Amino acid sequence: MHNLYFAGVDVGSLSTDVCIIDQSGKVFSEMVMPTGVNGSEAAERAFDASLKQADLTRTDISAITATGYGRASVAFATGKTTEISCHGVGAHQLFPKTGTVIDIGGQDSKVIQVDTHGRMLDFAMNDKCAAGTGRFLEVMANRLELDLDELSNPLNIKGESAPISSTCTVFAESEVISLLAKNTPREEIVHGLQRSIVNRIWGMVTSIGIQGEVTLTGGVAHNRGLVALLEAKLGLSLNIPDNPQTVGALGGAHIACRAYHSTLESSTT
Amino acid sequence: MNLSIPERSEYLKILSDSDQKIMGVLPALYPRELLWAFDLHAAEIWDPPGDILHANAHLQTTICPVVKKSLEFILKEPDVINTGYLFPHTCDSLQNLGTQVKDLIGVSLPVYTFYNPKGSFNNTTTKYYREILQNFQSMLEVSYGTLDSEKLQAACLLGHRIDSRLMDIQEARQTDRLLLGNQEYFQLMRAQEYLLPKDYMSLLEQVEILDQPSEGAKARILVSGILPPSPQILDFLDKLGVSIVADDLLAGSRRLPKFPMDPPDSPLDYLTDRFFILPPCSTRGGDLDERLHQLNKRSKSSKAQGVLFDLVKFCEPELFDHRLLVKTLREQKIPVLTLETELDSHLSGQDKTRIEAFIELLFEMVPR
Ligand SMILES: Nc1ncnc2c1ncn2[C@@H]1O[C@H](COP(=O)(O)OP(=O)(O)O)[C@@H](O)[C@H]1O
Ligand code: SF4
Repeated sequence: MHNLYFAGVDVGSLSTDVCIIDQSGKVFSEMVMPTGVNGSEAAERAFDASLKQADLTRTDISAITATGYGRASVAFATGKTTEISCHGVGAHQLFPKTGTVIDIGGQDSKVIQVDTHGRMLDFAMNDKCAAGTGRFLEVMANRLELDLDELSNPLNIKGESAPISSTCTVFAESEVISLLAKNTPREEIVHGLQRSIVNRIWGMVTSIGIQGEVTLTGGVAHNRGLVALLEAKLGLSLNIPDNPQTVGALGGAHIACRAYHSTLESSTT
Repeated sequence: MNLSIPERSEYLKILSDSDQKIMGVLPALYPRELLWAFDLHAAEIWDPPGDILHANAHLQTTICPVVKKSLEFILKEPDVINTGYLFPHTCDSLQNLGTQVKDLIGVSLPVYTFYNPKGSFNNTTTKYYREILQNFQSMLEVSYGTLDSEKLQAACLLGHRIDSRLMDIQEARQTDRLLLGNQEYFQLMRAQEYLLPKDYMSLLEQVEILDQPSEGAKARILVSGILPPSPQILDFLDKLGVSIVADDLLAGSRRLPKFPMDPPDSPLDYLTDRFFILPPCSTRGGDLDERLHQLNKRSKSSKAQGVLFDLVKFCEPELFDHRLLVKTLREQKIPVLTLETELDSHLSGQDKTRIEAFIELLFEMVPR
């Protein structure tokens, strides 16, 4: 039997991510590109780049799941599923003992409980305040004149952290300005910012609870300092995917594959 | 089915142009039959459209948008409200608003208050309720002359017919015997907030109830909170094939008796009894266990697969109940989704994602 290929296209607020797999789940391409202002163009661009990487053409792909906040704009998709379900399935594929997924993306963050098939059982989502999202870190990095990588430095968890009391980006930004004016060391401010995100995540975790292993997804999983703080707060070690931004797309590709086969089954029975 | 439901402001304008006395009534529970008996039309003010501009100057930021929008409306002193305002004691925010409008802000029309008792049925609460009914009656008599007891009896009979028909419609909704989408169903429920009772009754009579269940919706949910979800959300649910088959809303089934009552014999007894057999409610300091029981019962009878809480931001009474309700429902493995509304018309991308994810969960849409 020839290979069947499936794709997930995750149009996020900041990045558009594509993943292509075959029916055995082997990954052929993972692509992360900026979304920019036009989600549908970003999807086309990222998908084409991903096909090129996998050395495939559009006709080779049997089913495509669109996900992410721009999922409705992916014209070439064969199905659409929320990023909440996709992150659950994707995280479960990478770490089969995953019971809980924490996804911290650009404009929102989520805690998702999944069953033994990676299917979502319950979720909580924060989008009311930017603190708790990647965007918050970006605004602050800008203010601190640091790049995202510098903002990710792991710090000694016992080290000092500047008090950032506010959970609102606008207020937090003015707190940062006044801390800078007081010559507070940047590392302490960075630590304070990471802590305020962790506190927001903690709020969601307590509302739905933790079960099984915990996998962290979304771009903010690149932030090593935050990961260390979150692990300390949760009192466990987190599964961190090599490519945390493409976990939603990976889940989407698996959902496309499962949907393709279940349609096939139901049409042959 | 296409019901012709008159638009609120146009309808009220026509009424006031024809010299109908109209009182602006704030949410939620008040002795409507008593007003009807004085030929006063109760036009309820829950979520009038328009931005909140001037009300903010009088209210703290942490006050719910129902109160803010109501004040914004009242500050405009709209012509359609021509006899006064009634503030039932639904929550502290509304009670304070009543005092503020009466004593501090001042409006040209009289302001009445109605202090619903908190707590359940017992000798003290029923005695108290009867007293406030009588006081309210006396207060209205000062302006509108002695109450005609036959009119009150007729008003109670009409109220009773409306309740009975609404119960039938609600029951039909739960069992898929109504051909109404979510939007239309809640438009129908909410038309009681501004239609004259006789007009509302004839509207209810136009509703077709099928003998047999129609094809069921793809997913069935129960909604709880103060107001029904916004038209945008209802429309979105319609498109997703989700039907709200039952509700536990203050602007919905929480203002309808738990079970059918005998037709009124003595009006004041009838009104008192009716008040105390309303379903448990956060605004009356109701028993939370009873509310949970009621919620479970409704979920079961309507075969709802999950519960959607649509909370009004900063609604203290409801937020208080919500925490415990959600905790218990989760323990019972009943899927729950909470949305928070500011009563604007915007449906955010995130709320869409929440709703869709909730539906994926209810449907088990993600294959194994
Ligand atoms: N190399 C990196 N180091 C630290 N943080 C990063 C890095 N790359 C991305 N991020 C964080 O990830 C966020 C974007 O996450 P992503 O999952 O792509 O969001 P979305 O799905 O909403 O597009 C950025 O706001 C940023 O904070
Ligand atoms: S929404 Fe809640 S707080 Fe606001 S008026 Fe109604 S009961 Fe009171």
